[in-house]
Amino acid sequence: MKMMMPLRPLTRLLVLALALALLALPGLAAPSPQDILVASDAVRNPDFPFGLTNTLVEYRQGRQTESSTLAIYSKADPAGGQFRSLVRYTAPARDANKLILFNGKDLWFYDPSSKASIRLSPQQRLLGQASNGDVVTVNFARDYQAVAAVEEDTQDGDRQTRRCHRLSLSAANPDATYHRIDMWVDVANARPVKARFYSESGKLLKTAYYRRYQPIFGVQRPTEMVIIDGLESDWVTVMRYSDWTRREVPEAWLQRDYLPRFKPE
Amino acid sequence: MSRSGAWRRVAAAVLAVACVAGPARAGAATDADDAALSLADLQPDEVAQASDWRRFIEAGLGASAVRGQAAMQDSRRLSLDLRYEHALAPGLRVSLADRLDLGQPAPGGREHAVNTLKEAYVSGQLAADAMADLGRINVRNGVATGYNPTDYFREGAVRAPISINPASLRENRQGSIMLRAQRLWDGGSLTALYAPGLASRPNPEGLALDVGATNARHRALLALSQRIGGLTPQFLVQQEEARATRFGFNLTGLLNDATVAYLEWSGGRSPTQLADALEAVMPPCDCSTWRNRVAAGLGYTTSDKLSLTLEFQHNGAGLDGGGWSALRQGPVALYGQYRQAVRVSQEMPTRRALFTQALWQDALMPRLDLGLMHNLDLVDRSRRLWAEARYHVDSMEYALQWVLHEGEAGSVYGAVPEARGWQVLARYYF
Repeated sequence: MKMMMPLRPLTRLLVLALALALLALPGLAAPSPQDILVASDAVRNPDFPFGLTNTLVEYRQGRQTESSTLAIYSKADPAGGQFRSLVRYTAPARDANKLILFNGKDLWFYDPSSKASIRLSPQQRLLGQASNGDVVTVNFARDYQAVAAVEEDTQDGDRQTRRCHRLSLSAANPDATYHRIDMWVDVANARPVKARFYSESGKLLKTAYYRRYQPIFGVQRPTEMVIIDGLESDWVTVMRYSDWTRREVPEAWLQRDYLPRFKPE
Repeated sequence: MSRSGAWRRVAAAVLAVACVAGPARAGAATDADDAALSLADLQPDEVAQASDWRRFIEAGLGASAVRGQAAMQDSRRLSLDLRYEHALAPGLRVSLADRLDLGQPAPGGREHAVNTLKEAYVSGQLAADAMADLGRINVRNGVATGYNPTDYFREGAVRAPISINPASLRENRQGSIMLRAQRLWDGGSLTALYAPGLASRPNPEGLALDVGATNARHRALLALSQRIGGLTPQFLVQQEEARATRFGFNLTGLLNDATVAYLEWSGGRSPTQLADALEAVMPPCDCSTWRNRVAAGLGYTTSDKLSLTLEFQHNGAGLDGGGWSALRQGPVALYGQYRQAVRVSQEMPTRRALFTQALWQDALMPRLDLGLMHNLDLVDRSRRLWAEARYHVDSMEYALQWVLHEGEAGSVYGAVPEARGWQVLARYYF
């Protein structure tokens, strides 16, 4: 074993000064709005490929109208960082085994009954309250620029008051689904609390609450999203995430020609 | 009344009151937010488990105005549709799909009970990027909506046509027995398959496996997809016993966030479709030359879930105006034979057509889907109009369909016996 050589006094002084400067740095420079957004993404999304089950229940005027269960595999693009997802419907029976590939603007729908692979437009991704765009994993920091952060109290999904950063996000690349987002992120731990999504014309499209935080892969992550339509506020969708598993997702699977073969374990 | 039911009603009442309240400032939680969160609080923790089965039974009742008949002709149908997929071992899967149609009049024109073994095959995942399948497989290529020139395995595949909807014709058809292998890589794939000729002619018996319908000749297909820039074109080469090689191409692209453009092409040397159809009764023609088949279209989706499709269809082997007119005015037997051959091959009888489709999801009310399809033959100007309203609730689906065929006698749609008709369907998933 090699013995550590004792540092000379001057070198020791320099190392100490550098360590103090590094420790003091977070206190000197407050995190930027984009840093907060990145931290909030890290709370929602693991930084490795994973699989989960998403149960969606839709309510209109207080009554359950639809429910569906999806098995989803997600993996971040090594180039852009955005998540790509393979989705298979588990329920209802009418939709069982239908598949969707989300790969940026490359969206494909596959129906095993007709064997038809249908290219979807980004507009179709937006349709429905949580039908397409929201069921898959999204790294907001990749598609949006947080232009401002204001500290304020807000009510979270458990009707508790939380001190939050209110981030104003604007679409930073053409892959962004929404034109503008207001997002509230807990000052204490960077947990996303809620978000409001707007169209280009400034119309409120939907409000989402992130809640039911549970330890997933060693981090407290939201396992429920409550989505309220911007126009019809009695149109509510509850998405619950379960069965989180670390999964290998080969790059070769993230294409139209693999879609018919995707069968989550 | 259960406790959760009572709470839901309370939450609904709160929600209804909240909806009347106006919008609050951007950051504040509104009463509507509170009501929505209360609703979510009451939702039980239930997760549906995946099933190997997908089964439904469908009953249909309809009536048609048949040309030359004064009275409407009634029709009744009962169908059982099964799909089963099961993992035998890691990387080894079996798939089965079958459909039984019982109809009056007979769904296929002959027997009242027609079974279609759509698929029965085993799949092996040899590696993460290599797979092989063996058995009866329904292979469908093509990105177009109404007419698929590269759908090389559609010939003879429909045993019991129960709807003129292109989606239904693809869904309710039998596959071909084949060996298929696929290799994938990042951004591309190569598929190779071989379907042997196993029987020389179709078997019209209702419960027959009907190997001859889709395995009459030796066939092979290579399909290569490769991402190039933002596009992933697909190239196909198809070889069929006693026929020249055919080449195919599929491409889709985004024109903007709401519009998808697509192009599907197939080309190869072949005689005319008429010479092919009448080869048994006519002397062979010296008319083999390069012919193209094309479907090109645009799909546009509005923010109201309305999807509009416009598709131009070209069949270079089909009859042009002069040829079509001559055939219609010639011997009835030859005309009938041509129409029959075209029906079996699911080809266009003439050279050009225009297809338009409107699908409106959650139209007027949630869970109600409306569909409208219009086929216009650009050679003889005959047309077909098809409309459907479909409503689903829980495990049930209800549909009302209506169809109209218009045109001169002997035209593409004017010769269809059913001038107009309607059908009511009820489907139950179990």
